[in-house]
Amino acid sequence: MVSVRGLRKIYVVPEREAGLGASLRSLVRRRSKEVVAVDGFDVEIGRGEVVGFLGPNGAGKTTTLKMLSGLLYPTAGEVTVLGHTPWRREKAFLRRMTLVMGQRNQLVWDIPVVDSFELNRAIYRIPDGEYRDTLAELTDLLDLEGLLRKPVRNLSLGERMKCEVAAALLHRPAMLFLDEPTLGLDVTAQRRIRGFIATYAERYGATVLLTSHYMADVEALCKRVVVIHHGRLLFDGSLAALITRFSPYKTVVIDLDGPVGDLGRYGEVVSVEEQRVTLRVPKGEAAAVTGRLLADLPVADLSIGDPPVDEVIDRVFSEEPEPASTAATGTAAR
Amino acid sequence: MTFLRLLWLHVRIGVLNELQYRGNLVVQAVESLFGLASALLGLGIVFAKTETLVGWRPAELLAIVGVYFLVGGITRVVVQPSLARFMEDVRLGTLDFALTKPVDAQILASVRQVEIWKGIDIVVGLGLLAVSLARVGESVGAARALAFLGALAAGTTIVYSFLLVLATCSFWFVRLQNIFVIFQSMYEAGRWPIGVYPPWLRGTLTFLVPVGFAITVPAEALVGRLSSATLLGAIALAVVAPFLARRFWLVGVRHYSGASA
Repeated sequence: MVSVRGLRKIYVVPEREAGLGASLRSLVRRRSKEVVAVDGFDVEIGRGEVVGFLGPNGAGKTTTLKMLSGLLYPTAGEVTVLGHTPWRREKAFLRRMTLVMGQRNQLVWDIPVVDSFELNRAIYRIPDGEYRDTLAELTDLLDLEGLLRKPVRNLSLGERMKCEVAAALLHRPAMLFLDEPTLGLDVTAQRRIRGFIATYAERYGATVLLTSHYMADVEALCKRVVVIHHGRLLFDGSLAALITRFSPYKTVVIDLDGPVGDLGRYGEVVSVEEQRVTLRVPKGEAAAVTGRLLADLPVADLSIGDPPVDEVIDRVFSEEPEPASTAATGTAAR
Repeated sequence: MTFLRLLWLHVRIGVLNELQYRGNLVVQAVESLFGLASALLGLGIVFAKTETLVGWRPAELLAIVGVYFLVGGITRVVVQPSLARFMEDVRLGTLDFALTKPVDAQILASVRQVEIWKGIDIVVGLGLLAVSLARVGESVGAARALAFLGALAAGTTIVYSFLLVLATCSFWFVRLQNIFVIFQSMYEAGRWPIGVYPPWLRGTLTFLVPVGFAITVPAEALVGRLSSATLLGAIALAVVAPFLARRFWLVGVRHYSGASA
């Protein structure tokens, strides 16, 4: 479905110092430098997979997504999506994929939503019957009834995003590129869109590549995550495996029947809320520490778990572990 | 075919859009009337002093003003707003949506924004042409009508190609909004036959900014002053120009890197 080999993208970006003088000089003489946004990586995604594509800002996520959806020509490498080379932009390819960008909209601002849908229906040449069915289905799944006749400018952000997603899926694409589809939405709207994406992918066997800064999106939708950092592949596997690999800690939560003393000798105290203490303990010592806690203290309840995904991801990016240490020349700009 | 289909779709959206802001109709009507009045006033002043202007009689010059309004109207209804939006899309990164649609991106970018009220200029132009023909008092034969339509189509195509090239530059320079304002003021020079200008300006207005081909040539065809050599030249240029503009566009698209997230 998606096959990426040795993908690289180097941008040439203008560079200038801050200040008026430098700005004037740059009018005459432009200096530019090369920025490696994507620094060669391979990935294979099978039909029907929902893959989370993670990385800090500037890691090369959007650049990669744009190359996979045919918007950018790579500097080097081979990509096949749905059997096509994306940047040739063949109609057969474009008809079967879609791109949703959380921070940009394609709906026409001043006219009712349904008229923008009609435009897409005509552009994609969706047969009448199929269009009616899809629209009814999307209306039902995303709860669009009542929104379709309103001009886009009168919709709330959450409502607009639901309509954006619907507009992008009217032609029932088999490949979905979703770039921050829940950006800025409240929790309810996020959950709604998330649930919808899961249903759509399952119902149509669609392949989804999703970037998001909300770990909840990734946890709910993606069995597999691909992590890039400085344009290089850092990790490819299940979310659980990511946590195992990058978090050498377990989180131990205990509820005490009695006063909470200093528990620093058992592990790093993350938080204390009344009688509940959360400890971070090196993975190998978790069993022993648990035993000591139970023996030493009046423990009412105890649980061991993995630290929150956010925390793990944050650690991955901030510590920049081994595989990425040789990556990246200069700063990644996009 | 694709072109007409997409054009129609966006005319429809344009109508829906503009019906929300009916004030625009009034503004546009006033603007067109002012344009017409200043053009006619200019003619009046000139012909108060002289019988002919570089060989053009008053009624014939009306044909020039007519073509000026007609071609200006055509480009301002669809080509200019669409290309202006395209340049904005490049700057904001929303061009991504146009490039991921299964239709030709150049065609889509050229018809995406339709401002129907600017069509008033087309009506004014046709009216002026009718008046001009009535005043000239000759009957227009089939050959002359055909030459006029050919020259008009060629002129419009050349202007479109020129505007497309200007707009395509935004792939490199990103912010070029004023470029159409410059074009518009050059275009206004086309209210007069290009013969009135000194040679260097005539060359500029013919080949650099193709106002001569867009306005003077069709008007010459209508009033029967056009040589077949000029007509053939215009048609030849109308074949080559869109081809070159297309090549340039494709290079631009390849260069497009989008706005970052």
